[in-house]
Amino acid sequence: MAPTAALDTTIAVVTPENIAFDYQLAGPFRRLPAYLIDLGVRWGVIVIVVVCLAFAGLIASFSGFGSFVLATGFILYFLISWFYGTVLETYFNGRTIGKWACGIRVIDTDGRPISGKRAMLRNLLRIADLAPLVALSSFTTDAAPIFFPTGMIGLLTMTCTRRMQRLGDLAAGTMVIVDERGWRLPVAKVDDPRVPALASFFPGDYRVSRSMAKTLAIYAERRHYLTPARRREIARHLAIPLIDRFEFRTDIDPDLLMYALYYRVFLADSSDEIADLGPLAGFSPLRRDQNKPQGLAGDLAIPTSPVTHPPVPEPTRRIAGGIPDADPLGKPIPRPQAGSEQLGSGQEAGTQQAVTRAEKQR
Amino acid sequence: MNVAKLLEKRRIQWSELERLCDAMEMRGRTDKSGFKHHQGAQGIARFSTLYRAACADLALADTYQLPPGTVTYLHRLVARSHNQLYRADKFEPKRWSTIIFETAPQQIFSDPCVRVATIVFFGLFALAMYLGRNDAIFPGFAERMVGDEQLAQLESSYAAPLQGSLDHYVSMSGFYIMHNTGIGLRCFAYGILLIPCLFSLAYNALALGTMFGYMARPDITGGDNFFEFVTAHGPFELTAIALAAAAGLRIGLGLFYTGGLARTESIRVNAMKAVPIMAASALLFTLAAFTEGFISPSPLPYVAKAVWSVLSSGLISFYFVVLGFPRDAGEFASQLPAGDQPDAA
Repeated sequence: MAPTAALDTTIAVVTPENIAFDYQLAGPFRRLPAYLIDLGVRWGVIVIVVVCLAFAGLIASFSGFGSFVLATGFILYFLISWFYGTVLETYFNGRTIGKWACGIRVIDTDGRPISGKRAMLRNLLRIADLAPLVALSSFTTDAAPIFFPTGMIGLLTMTCTRRMQRLGDLAAGTMVIVDERGWRLPVAKVDDPRVPALASFFPGDYRVSRSMAKTLAIYAERRHYLTPARRREIARHLAIPLIDRFEFRTDIDPDLLMYALYYRVFLADSSDEIADLGPLAGFSPLRRDQNKPQGLAGDLAIPTSPVTHPPVPEPTRRIAGGIPDADPLGKPIPRPQAGSEQLGSGQEAGTQQAVTRAEKQR
Repeated sequence: MNVAKLLEKRRIQWSELERLCDAMEMRGRTDKSGFKHHQGAQGIARFSTLYRAACADLALADTYQLPPGTVTYLHRLVARSHNQLYRADKFEPKRWSTIIFETAPQQIFSDPCVRVATIVFFGLFALAMYLGRNDAIFPGFAERMVGDEQLAQLESSYAAPLQGSLDHYVSMSGFYIMHNTGIGLRCFAYGILLIPCLFSLAYNALALGTMFGYMARPDITGGDNFFEFVTAHGPFELTAIALAAAAGLRIGLGLFYTGGLARTESIRVNAMKAVPIMAASALLFTLAAFTEGFISPSPLPYVAKAVWSVLSSGLISFYFVVLGFPRDAGEFASQLPAGDQPDAA
C-alpha cells in the first residue's frame, strides 16, 4: 500500500478514461441487511408462486396437476435459492433487490461491472462464507435439528482483507461498494459583508498553497457546526502566522480572517473588490492604522480580546495590491460609543449591528 | 478564473449528467430525462460526452484547487456515470458451449484435483460397499454408518417392484434436481475451506456406498428393485458429485499452492479455473436428474436401463478422455484420432 493512501474505507479505481476516482466500500453492517432482504424476497417469491400454482391446480382440477405443482416447487426452490443472486447481479448491473434497497453494488476489483461468471462464483460460494453452521440442538437438548449459519468465516475474511471481501468475493475478484444516491453539490455562500471587506486587505500577489486551499475549504464547510469560541480556537493556528505576516491588528477575529481568506481564494473575483464594500469602506484592520480613528474596525476584533502577543515593531513595508488601507477621503469617521464597540460574538448579530450602526452614521 | 465562476459554469453540465444518470438508472435508457435531445442514440452520445467532461473535471480538480466537498461530489458523479456507461456482461450461450465442450474436458483431464476427488469418492464408495455387504465379517457396520431407521425405510421403499405414473416421475425428478444438485453445489462451495468439502464428499461416499452394500446383501428383499433403480442414473450422478467436489478443491488448493502468486490472486485464478469443471458437473447433475426422474423408476425392462447406463458411462468417458485429451496443436486434433496422439503431457 502506498504510504499516501488514506486509512479509510475508500478504494481508488482507474477508469478506461485514465482518471482515478474513489469508491466507498460497503462493510458487513451494510451488507447484512441487504442479505436479509434478499432472503425475505427469495422466500416470498417461492411461496407466492407455489400458492398461485396450487390455486390454479384447484381451479383446473385435473389429475396429475398436484405432482406438477410439487415438482415446480422443488425446482423453483432449487433455482431461486442457488441462482437468485447470480441472475439479478448479472442483469441488474451488480445489484440484487436487497442491495438496491441498501444502496450497495457489486463491482469488479478493477472497477469494471461484474460479469456473469463472477456473479455465479461469488453467489455459489456464499454458503462457505455463511459457515460454520450451528445446530440449534447444541443449546437446548429438545430442539429440532435445525442448523443456523453463523457467517463467521465471511465476517473474518471481510475484516482481514483491504477491500472487505468475503471468500466468494476473493474467489470471483469482486468487491461491494456503496452506491451513493442522495447527494448534492456543496457550495459555501458568504453572506457576511465584513468578509469581502477584510478579504480586500490581503495583498493581491498572495497565493495560497494547495494544502492551505484545501484546509480553508474544509474549514469553511465545517465552521457552521462549531461554536464561535471553538471556531476562533481552531482558526488561530493558521491565523496568527497570517496576522504576523500581513501585519494585521493582533485583536482581529481569527475565524473571520480565515473565512475572509477562504472568500478571497475560492469566491472573490479580482475585478470587483472595492465595489461591494458598502458601509464598511472606511476601516482598516492593519496594525499601523490601529490608532487612527476608524468607524467599524472594532467589528473585526475578538469580543473579549484575549490576545497576548508581544508587540511587534511598526511595519515599514508597503502592501501591494493598491487596496485602500485607510479612509480614502481622509475624513475621520466618528468613533462609536465605547459600549457598542465590543460586539457579540455571533456572526449574524455582529453583521446586523454593523449594518444598523452604519445607517445611523449616515 | 475563480472557483465559484468555474463551478457555476460546469454545474449546468453536471446536473444534466445527473438527470441522465437518473433516467438510465430507472429505465436503462436515456429517454425521458426531461431534455429533447436525449432521445435514443443522441442521448447516449450526449451522456458519454458529459461523462468524459466530468472525468476531465475530476482529473483537473487538483489544479483548479476545487474545494474537497466538490471533489467528493465529482467522485460520486463520475462513479455513478461509470456504472451506467460500463454495464455488466451478460451470459453468452455461445461462449458457454465452448466452455462445456472444449475448456472443461481438457481441464478435467489435466487437473490433479479431479483425480484426488475421484479417488476419494469412488475409493470410499467401494470400500463402504464392501464393508456394508459383508455383515458376517464386519457386523453392524451398515447399521452404525447409516442408521437402523433409514435402512429399514430404504428396504421397505424398494420392496415393491418399480412402477409409476407420469405425475410420479415429474415430482420425483424435481426433488432429485433440488436435492442432489444441492449436495454437489454444497461440496463445491465448501471446497474453498477444503476440510468441509472433503468431509462432505467422504460422508456422501460412505453413506451411499453402505446403502449400496446393504441392498446387495442376499437376504434383503428389495435388492433387485434397488439396483434396477440406480443403474440408469448412477454413472451421471456419482461422477457429478466427484466433479463438483474437485472444482471446489481446486479453489481451496489455491489458498495453499499459490504457484508464486499472491494468495488472494491465486484464489481468484484458481476459482476461474474451477468454473468450467463446475459447469460440466452441473450439466451431469441435470442429466442425472432427468434420468432419475423419467428412466429409473419407469417399468422399462432392465436391459434398457442397463444399456442407458453403459451408454452414459461411455459418453462420460468420451467426454473426459477424447475431448479432454491434452492437445497443444489444434490441427493435430482434427487429423489424428484422439487416442493416437503423442503424449503431450
